Amino acid sequence: MINIDEKNLKHGILGLVIALVEVITDALKLQATKRVKSGRLTKEEIERLGKALAELDKAIEDIKKEQGITEAVQGVRDNLDDLADDVINKIIDPKKLEEQIEPKQKS
Amino acid sequence: MNQNKKAKEGRYVYCVAKNLQITRIGKIGIENNDVYTITYKDLCAVVHNCQLKAYVSKNEEEIKNWIKIHQNVIDIASEKLGTVVPLTFDIIIKGSNEAVSDWLKKDYDRLTRILKKVKDKQEFGVQIFWNENKISDKIAEKNQKIQNIKKDIKKVSEGEAYFYKDTIKTILKKELEKKANEHFKQFYDIVKNNVDYIRVDKIKKEKGKQMLMNLSCLVHKNKIKNLGMELEKINKIDGFTVKFTGPWPPYSFVNSN
Repeated sequence: MINIDEKNLKHGILGLVIALVEVITDALKLQATKRVKSGRLTKEEIERLGKALAELDKAIEDIKKEQGITEAVQGVRDNLDDLADDVINKIIDPKKLEEQIEPKQKS
Repeated sequence: MNQNKKAKEGRYVYCVAKNLQITRIGKIGIENNDVYTITYKDLCAVVHNCQLKAYVSKNEEEIKNWIKIHQNVIDIASEKLGTVVPLTFDIIIKGSNEAVSDWLKKDYDRLTRILKKVKDKQEFGVQIFWNENKISDKIAEKNQKIQNIKKDIKKVSEGEAYFYKDTIKTILKKELEKKANEHFKQFYDIVKNNVDYIRVDKIKKEKGKQMLMNLSCLVHKNKIKNLGMELEKINKIDGFTVKFTGPWPPYSFVNSN
């Protein structure tokens, strides 16, 4: 029986939201890094970008600590990874999954 | 025989063994049922009489308890009968003793094959953990690229340093993954050479620990000591921990349905 009380619900939803924020932030960082490496940004722009991302990172860490959801967030992200793995496995070959039993032939 | 046709009774099956000597296991079955054996040729099935309905419950504790009893019966049966082919929880054959003999007869070849495969062997679990932070630090120390970037970070401004740090993270992540694959292969080969059958199981995410590999192994009793020694060697490596569990009846290696 699942015990849903207000605190649990808030905890769960927050975990989900912050996990999503982290995923989006990762995408942001990737784009930003590409721009920096492209050489098209000025030193000031790079400085501003880097500082902003650093602040974003810190803000997310602070929220996780204050709300006590660091593990919840990690849990959501792990689940997303597992989900992605499952989908990929199914695409690759459903039968391949069964071949995990590897008999060693005794001589 | 009309026995099977009008049977509302069944036989709950715990396991199968190659033994004709023992007929009674004890009053240790689920719901205190009497557990005994039904034979066909040189095989026997360990059963208790039950109604033709599965053991279901909404109470998680009750189910856990039944499973515990199921496993206990298999353990005791193993002690009395020798190697067994364990069945999963809640397998009930419709009918009476004859139905069970028929089942043994139908599956005789397959069961005999499985019994031969698992004879004198037990199942063990091998889980290897590593300290990602420690290993990461070691990698960083030895990686020239990272050391160079670290020097550069001291020279640049805060914002720019962010991207340098991010680059280090990316390199570390890639190198860590490479190391993980190397170690996986290395340890897998070591274990494989010391067991009879091996199966790769899903990595379990445990709090505060990073699991590198999760293996189920079927090991002949003569090989257990060697396997233990090899695992102890791995356990002694800095940053690595080995969890060696068992023995259990060969649940993972029998594919029974």
